[in-house]
Amino acid sequence: MRKYLYIYKATLIENLQYISNIILGMISFFVTIFVFLNLWDYMYADSSELINGYNINQMVWYVLIGEILWYGTRNKTLTNEISNDIKSGNIAYNINKPYNYVFYIISKHFGEITIKFITFILIGSVIGRIFVGKIIGFSLVSIPFIMIVVLLGVFINSIIRIAISVISFWIEDSNPFHWVYDKFILIFGTIFPIEMFPKILQSAMIFSPIFVVNYGPAKLIINFTFEKFIQIFIVQIIYIVILVLLLLLLYNKGVRKLNVNGG
Amino acid sequence: MNVIEVKDLKKQFKVKEKEKGIKGSLKSILKPKYKEINAVNNISFEIEKGEMLAFIGPNGAGKSTTIKMLTGILYPTSGEINVMGLNPSKFRKKLAYKIGTVFGQKEQLWTHLTPYDNFKFFGAIYDLKDSEIETRIEELKKTFDLDEFINTPVRNLSLGQRIRCEIVASLIHKPDILFLDEPTIGLDPVVKQNIRKLIKKMNKELGTTIFLTSHDVGDIEKLCKRVIIINHGKMILDDLVENLKYSSKKPLEDIIAEIYEDNKLEV
Repeated sequence: MRKYLYIYKATLIENLQYISNIILGMISFFVTIFVFLNLWDYMYADSSELINGYNINQMVWYVLIGEILWYGTRNKTLTNEISNDIKSGNIAYNINKPYNYVFYIISKHFGEITIKFITFILIGSVIGRIFVGKIIGFSLVSIPFIMIVVLLGVFINSIIRIAISVISFWIEDSNPFHWVYDKFILIFGTIFPIEMFPKILQSAMIFSPIFVVNYGPAKLIINFTFEKFIQIFIVQIIYIVILVLLLLLLYNKGVRKLNVNGG
Repeated sequence: MNVIEVKDLKKQFKVKEKEKGIKGSLKSILKPKYKEINAVNNISFEIEKGEMLAFIGPNGAGKSTTIKMLTGILYPTSGEINVMGLNPSKFRKKLAYKIGTVFGQKEQLWTHLTPYDNFKFFGAIYDLKDSEIETRIEELKKTFDLDEFINTPVRNLSLGQRIRCEIVASLIHKPDILFLDEPTIGLDPVVKQNIRKLIKKMNKELGTTIFLTSHDVGDIEKLCKRVIIINHGKMILDDLVENLKYSSKKPLEDIIAEIYEDNKLEV
């Protein structure tokens, strides 16, 4: 565990050099947020109105949290870097170290997104406060529970991303799969809550990663109950166990196929 | 005592073959054709503890593929490998604690960190205690004369300084065997000489076994007692450097080039 903490720490130190990149990356976040917040503001002609069970305060905060989870945790290490490493054979120089490559990537990912994610949370919270005020009914007591599901959500998202990248052992390019997953998460559950979709789709989405990656954590923040926390937490643990096993299986099978020619 | 034992080692790669043009591309999608390449073809050798071996051959001979199998990165198609009593493909992680690797053409250091932070990082990766890491850094700092730039980010170091740090990073856990894949590539003659001196010192003082691949005859001549030449995956020579040197009046570089040519192979 200590070595993975070191990997996390080393990446964090390295990323402190890129503060300006993080700030520049916020521009697209601001534009998207601005468009969506204005859109929802327009749709809620009357502020007491409910759309699919959400009042304007909940809807704006839901979209904001969804966008923070999406933008704040996006990282090329999980997508391009793993695929390129596999394709170019560079992965060889990582797997001859006494750590598990998969956990190395996860530690590196968390090190790379920490500053960005915290910055997005802070800026997003300020934007939310300005637009619709604080989250109605939000209690500070719920923060530790929220942190657990948010972090587990980020963790599950990273495992799914790595699993998609690991497909590069078999196919030339895993980017199309990343694109599909990216848009799937963005449309279903990030910019629109699940309740906005037809009932048939809703039940399918509840069993998809959307529930544990973004919808569940965002819904818990805007409307916290302990029962909901337990429900999301249990499903997240089930997801982690299954996904980690699946990923390790895929990775171990893939590594055997590794072809690295030349020096 | 042998620290490396290789018997009938073979590695085959399946390479996709494609005819030229769009027609060929479409055809390769519908009916892909593969050809098998013997990157390493039935080689056997043994290396004793503390030995410095030059493992050479022209480009594409199978040197790096062999190193990658010896370090557990690639799985052999057939044959047996025993490194420090372990089968590398089965015990890659366990073996990693006993070996060090330096690839002259690949950076393993984190470029935005200083050498000191890198060494701390590598120490932690190899499960060393903080106090052990500090002692080890002190030792290596003196041996490799790093004082001047140990706190400068790696990206600002010269190539020679970086290679020195790469070697130190791979020695932090006191490996029994060090695999050096073209460690002096791109270095100027003075830095090359320094690196060679350090490798020699390390072998003498720490008893580290050195497995070296290089295209630089100077590396082979100055460092190694024994040389193995492979080409097209096959072992074509296993002899003492001295024997090779005195087999003809020509310079060693020419002798080696002739051996490559005699085997009708590209140099």
